[in-house]
Amino acid sequence: MSSWPEPDWLAPESFDEALRLRAERDDATVVAGGTFLAILMNQRMLTPTAFLSLQRVPGLDQIEVDERGLRLGALVTHRAVELSPVVRERWPALAQTFGVVASPRVRNQATVGGVLADADYASDPPAMLAALQARVVVQSVRGEREIPVEELIVGHYETTLEPNELIVGVVVPNGEARATYRKFRTRSHEDRPCVGVAAVRRPGALRIVVGAVAHRPQLFPELCDPDAAPEEIGRAYADAIEPIGDVRGSAAYRKRVIAVEVRRALEELAA
Amino acid sequence: MIDARISGRVTYSQDVELDGMLHARILRSPYPHARVRSIDASAVSGVVITRDDIRGYGRYGPQIQDSTVLAIDRALYAGDPVAAVAAPTRAEATEALYAIEVDYEELPASYDPVEAAQPGARLVHETAAVSENDAAYFDMRPQPGTNVCHRFRIRHGRDPEELWSSCDAVIDRTFRVAGAQHAMMEPHASVARWSGDRLEVWTGTQTPFNLRGELARIFDLPQESVRVVCPPMGGAFGAKTFVRLEAIVAALARKAGRPVKAVLDRDEEWQTLNRHPAVIRVQLGARADGTLVACRMWCWADTGAYADCGPGVAQKMGFAGPGPYRWEHAWVDSDCVYTNLPPNGAFRGYGQMQSTWARELAVDLLADELGIDPLELRLQNVLREGDRYVTGEELHDVHYAECLKAAAHAVRWDEGRRGKGLAALMKGMQTPSRAEIVVEVDDEGYAIRCATAEMGQGARRTISLLAAEELGVDVSRIRFPDPDTDVVPYDTRTTSSRSTYVMGEAVREAVRDLKASGGRRGHGKMEIPGGLDPDTGQGVASHHWHQGAAAAEVALDEETGAIEVRRLHTSIYAGRVVNRAGAELQNEGSMIMGLGTALFEAIDFADGQVVNANLSDYEIAAFADLPGELTHDLIEREGAEIHGLGETALPPVPAAIGNALGSLGVHVTELPMTPETVLGAVDARTAVKVP
Repeated sequence: MSSWPEPDWLAPESFDEALRLRAERDDATVVAGGTFLAILMNQRMLTPTAFLSLQRVPGLDQIEVDERGLRLGALVTHRAVELSPVVRERWPALAQTFGVVASPRVRNQATVGGVLADADYASDPPAMLAALQARVVVQSVRGEREIPVEELIVGHYETTLEPNELIVGVVVPNGEARATYRKFRTRSHEDRPCVGVAAVRRPGALRIVVGAVAHRPQLFPELCDPDAAPEEIGRAYADAIEPIGDVRGSAAYRKRVIAVEVRRALEELAA
Repeated sequence: MIDARISGRVTYSQDVELDGMLHARILRSPYPHARVRSIDASAVSGVVITRDDIRGYGRYGPQIQDSTVLAIDRALYAGDPVAAVAAPTRAEATEALYAIEVDYEELPASYDPVEAAQPGARLVHETAAVSENDAAYFDMRPQPGTNVCHRFRIRHGRDPEELWSSCDAVIDRTFRVAGAQHAMMEPHASVARWSGDRLEVWTGTQTPFNLRGELARIFDLPQESVRVVCPPMGGAFGAKTFVRLEAIVAALARKAGRPVKAVLDRDEEWQTLNRHPAVIRVQLGARADGTLVACRMWCWADTGAYADCGPGVAQKMGFAGPGPYRWEHAWVDSDCVYTNLPPNGAFRGYGQMQSTWARELAVDLLADELGIDPLELRLQNVLREGDRYVTGEELHDVHYAECLKAAAHAVRWDEGRRGKGLAALMKGMQTPSRAEIVVEVDDEGYAIRCATAEMGQGARRTISLLAAEELGVDVSRIRFPDPDTDVVPYDTRTTSSRSTYVMGEAVREAVRDLKASGGRRGHGKMEIPGGLDPDTGQGVASHHWHQGAAAAEVALDEETGAIEVRRLHTSIYAGRVVNRAGAELQNEGSMIMGLGTALFEAIDFADGQVVNANLSDYEIAAFADLPGELTHDLIEREGAEIHGLGETALPPVPAAIGNALGSLGVHVTELPMTPETVLGAVDARTAVKVP
């Protein structure tokens, strides 16, 4: 007979302690806002024996701008990104993307680190962060490294984080860019996207990432010809992506929507 | 003062605490259909019940006696309770479930009501007996040797089949509606306690007296030995009717010798009671001048593995099907069909949303075919004062034309109708039925003894307001304790938007009785007679009818099929409004629920399993989903009877939105109208003629 003891609740008060616990307790599930874990646990898809809570670790909830660009701490909430004056002014598409996630209740709780570590295919922010060429800063007891967002999320709920690593934050580079995020929903406004399109145009460069359609954000640099017609790129993305089907739409339907929404995103950038 | 519901001071069923109380969890079949070969619960440390404990208990079911406290030989749906445990804490009870070993033999299962209704289809139940309680208030017509547990028919005029050749326009279309979850905030919760042969139950229920009768039957007790107390509910919408968890907690409590409480997890709601998926085929015929000639409908209401009140749902789906029009001929066959899905039962609108969806879309198709404006076609044929409905009953206080005109006006129908749609609704109220109430005077004021259940609809306030008005006192002097079947007089149940009218009449009589007697207690009673013959549909379907119309204006994204509802309006006949704030909230709540049904609410099944049994994968309408304009009228008439408002504004909403799409040449037949469904209809579109 299986017996489920109450899971341990590890609540370090410094980052070093958090890293040490992360290395010692590879059974611990890292929890920040808990919005995603709560769903998995309610569905009994996850039964952790221990939680490593980052809520008491100071300094991870900062939004800062330095010479490299924007730094969002791992514990910055979606709502904080959405409402941050500096993000709204200099990275408005990023503020917009975090602002279309679920409802204010969820956005007040869900964090930047959490949405990256979950690697949930149906989240909005990863596509936009990948389109903006953001890099995820991670640390372990052995040191720090940076991972481009599109290399962090490699599969359904699957990342390239090592078991002893923690996400510290994410760096969004400076540079002149026009960006937009189009969230296409098929059900409630509070739902996850059926198709999410993040598009960023920089001088002489274009980067389009489509989210929520496959196990990981979809980026095809070879199709992002800055001089091609929006319609052509939309069609090319639809052809290149092998979408999944779920309660928000079939694979065939998603293919059609990808073509339309990629085109519309590019038209928005051109306008 | 802050409302007790906001400050958290309301005691809901799940807050009831009794000395020595244990907490229950239910073990459910993982298979949609399986023979239960063996159950080994010997490793459970706690109180457990399996089929061996309940074999001796009576079968139950409000209309068909097809249910047992737990599955005996076969589990009939994925989620069918097979065992239950009680332990000092909920966590221990949950853990104990894993100690029960059940050996199943999986069996073939049925999920399609049309296929399951065919002769020769595999039977979900081998036998079914009609129930003998007042929830079986009409004659049941189970079709022996089939999965049809009730067939209701209307035979008004000639067989329409003989008339199509004489019509100038004929429509024949089949419509489908997905299942839905009530998704009330408060899940099901029940507590049971035995004292010798006396059973007491605290439970959120809309049907305290039906429940008392069923529990008495299950445990073979006199009705007076069962006490049902009904705390306020955090929403119900039809889900908290008849026996839900009560039989299981009572059987556990009896075995444990201690009180037992059960509170469902959210995902268990999808395994407990849902709304009937339905398939409806409609044929309509008219003459070139717009005169409606004949209506033929076949409804298949998928009631899942247990009938519950599905026969009643199928009957109302059928008798409201022809709608508020002067049909010379109308034939309806409405079948309540068993499948191996979770049980389906009462849901706000009670079958009438499904048939309104089908008929009102077909009426617009007929208008297109005739080249007549859909509003004009409706007004030309709509039922009016003194007309007889297809059931033969004479109608009075008839306002369909007024409702339709008001709804059309709200969307500026006369300025062009592209992107706009209308739908009319007629909805029955539980008939026959009976309500009794007692008003007592004491030193603190007045106390109301009444079985009407408070589920957030404001019934206590409304009935108290009516009593205060009749007494000539301020409403603050009136108390309305929780219904308790030991104390309150009989009432049929809190369903079908009947309580404000029926109990309202009774409370006024009780106050008059109190005043006339000069004593400390007044008794009032209201009885409404009627009923239909199930083979011809003739008689009195509804003492009076709930009448309304909806209008919608939409914008369509033709490349993705996404629709934006820009404006939604309902015009609802209220007769007389008692509690205006409450009445307005009922209309708005119904419209918002209708919007979810229209656009995206659907239970997704894969091989009989619900795949979206949580409020992340199953979406309900949020504030951000509301149309730019969401408005409604409460139409009143001096001296009129009160018309209940709990549901009326829901059923016409999906059809109005569907017809708005139809005005763009996009003809959907399925609910919900997801973008993918709509895009399919855009692909199939032919020429558009709408001005």
